[in-house]
Amino acid sequence: MPKHTKMKENLVGLLKSFTFALFISVTTVSFAQEISKDATVIKAGEELFNGNCKACHRVKQKLVGPALAGVDTRVPSVAWIKNWVRNPAKVIASGDKYANDLYNEYSKSQMTAFTSYTDDQIMSILAYIKSEADKPDATAATQTAAGNAAGQGGEPSGYLDVILVGMIVILLLMLAILGIVSKALKKYLNEKPLSEEDKEVVNSPYTLGGFLRSPGFIFLVVFVVGAVTFKTVIDGLYSIGIQQNYQPKQPIAFSHKLHAGAYEINCVYCHTGAEKGKQANIPSPNICMNCHSQIKKESPEIQKIYAAIGYDVNSASYTGKQKPIEWVRIHNLPDLAYFNHSQHYNVAGVKCQTCHGPIEEMEVVKQYSLLTMGWCIDCHRKTDVNTEGNAYYDRLVQVHNAAKGSKSKMKVEDIGGLECSKCHY
Amino acid sequence: MGASAAIFLAGCKAGGDYQGTEYAPNMYHSVAYESLSQITDQDAGWYFNALDARSGEFYNSNPYNPYKMNLRQPPKHVVKRETHGWLPYRGANDTTGLRLANRLVNPFEATPAILDRGKVLYETYCKHCHGAKGGGDGKVAQGVKIDDVEHSSYPGVANLRGDAYKKITEGHIFHVITYGKGLMGAHGSQVSEEDRWKIAKYVKELQKN
Repeated sequence: MPKHTKMKENLVGLLKSFTFALFISVTTVSFAQEISKDATVIKAGEELFNGNCKACHRVKQKLVGPALAGVDTRVPSVAWIKNWVRNPAKVIASGDKYANDLYNEYSKSQMTAFTSYTDDQIMSILAYIKSEADKPDATAATQTAAGNAAGQGGEPSGYLDVILVGMIVILLLMLAILGIVSKALKKYLNEKPLSEEDKEVVNSPYTLGGFLRSPGFIFLVVFVVGAVTFKTVIDGLYSIGIQQNYQPKQPIAFSHKLHAGAYEINCVYCHTGAEKGKQANIPSPNICMNCHSQIKKESPEIQKIYAAIGYDVNSASYTGKQKPIEWVRIHNLPDLAYFNHSQHYNVAGVKCQTCHGPIEEMEVVKQYSLLTMGWCIDCHRKTDVNTEGNAYYDRLVQVHNAAKGSKSKMKVEDIGGLECSKCHY
Repeated sequence: MGASAAIFLAGCKAGGDYQGTEYAPNMYHSVAYESLSQITDQDAGWYFNALDARSGEFYNSNPYNPYKMNLRQPPKHVVKRETHGWLPYRGANDTTGLRLANRLVNPFEATPAILDRGKVLYETYCKHCHGAKGGGDGKVAQGVKIDDVEHSSYPGVANLRGDAYKKITEGHIFHVITYGKGLMGAHGSQVSEEDRWKIAKYVKELQKN
């Protein structure tokens, strides 16, 4: 074979492999147009997803919109996704079958248009979705640790027991030592020449009865018993008519610790009356349903709300059969006293916790304050009136300063907070 | 005698399900119907009553209402009195209603006083889901942990700072607070019309920065 033919063949081979490489690179480029596995792209997609998509979509769970796992293979094409994201109305209007089926399946609610998204942004979101979809499920493992918290209260009392036992041991030791000392002393004294009288004293038999009848011991016992009884009787008398610490079991085990504490839901979100009127109000179940139409649907406590408001979980609709929830009232003022929540919450700016205590830590609510008249008066004497930036008080402050000097702050009592007829009429 | 008095009085203290001994109980139990307390036992407080009374003095349930409740729902078509004499919002709770609501104009100007009030209202009614800055990152949206037990997070909370939401109008916000949208519940019963407009104003302000 001549040399140049071989060269030519080599050249052709080179050309062939070159075109093949070109072909490969072209196809990989078009694949890269599909979905990237690059971590930075996925990260960018995650940010976009959390910022804009999460409200209606999850990767593996149907929410307002469909679950997005496998969306790139499910829909007609990636280009379709891009069109859809930027202008879903147009895709629907074009008569696209997939789009119209989707629109009808989700009861004709249309996705928000994200007109400003570039191809790269949409691709990064798809990359994030794919990477999330490929992750194994990790939800089931976390929900088991519920019962473990109960058995932890024993430690401080354990310490106390050890200290108590130690003290008893020390006391017994001291008793033994004292016994030995007294025996030794008696022996020593008996060896000395003593008068008859002294001998009688030294050898006088020790009796329990004698000790119990001694005036010192009787006085001590009478004093201790008398003091304790006196204290208990006075405390007992003061507890009559006061419902502090009343902590009844409620028909639904609602936890303020979870809702007001951990979730930081404002008190007024549910107790809407506190801002508007006399009563803070027990929230009606439709406020519960703002969240619980979606979450914890299987809980027996939530089922009680459904039963009360007449909600059918399976069909997610209201049946119209309602019955009241009989919450047990805790805070109760006598009829003769008037109290208005809005006045204290709005005007005085008193925090709910000032009177109701650390509600956000209470699993079951109890009455924290005394709710006696003395307790009301005490607060009215101590609390300064917030007059700043309120022209209504300007003249009052002037009069107050003229009468009591500008150093004394204007308290609630100074503007009639102790008037009988403010609360009793 | 003192000791027995002490033991006797120890039983007067309130705690748990026990309300404690009441001194002069007829002061605590309203004779008139009260909205938030109800005694259904007909004989409660019988010892205060004249012999011919039909029920005890503490009995204060209304036998003519369902479940003897003291509160009743207002009759149909009763209109709540709103501030400024406004009539209730009558936009329809559907996509058409929402489209029309987009064009509603907020009756309030963005004055500092209105925005301050809007902020207070936002923090009362919105913050726990939508987050202090509107990022959709409130505690309810994120889920919480108490003593290592995870509690559910609420799905589908809108990030009000997201691109899609920057374009929504105040009328849209007003409509959505009233009726809810997607997974958000209807808040029309909790937030008055006036307050809804103020929240809408504040949300637009939040989106600016």
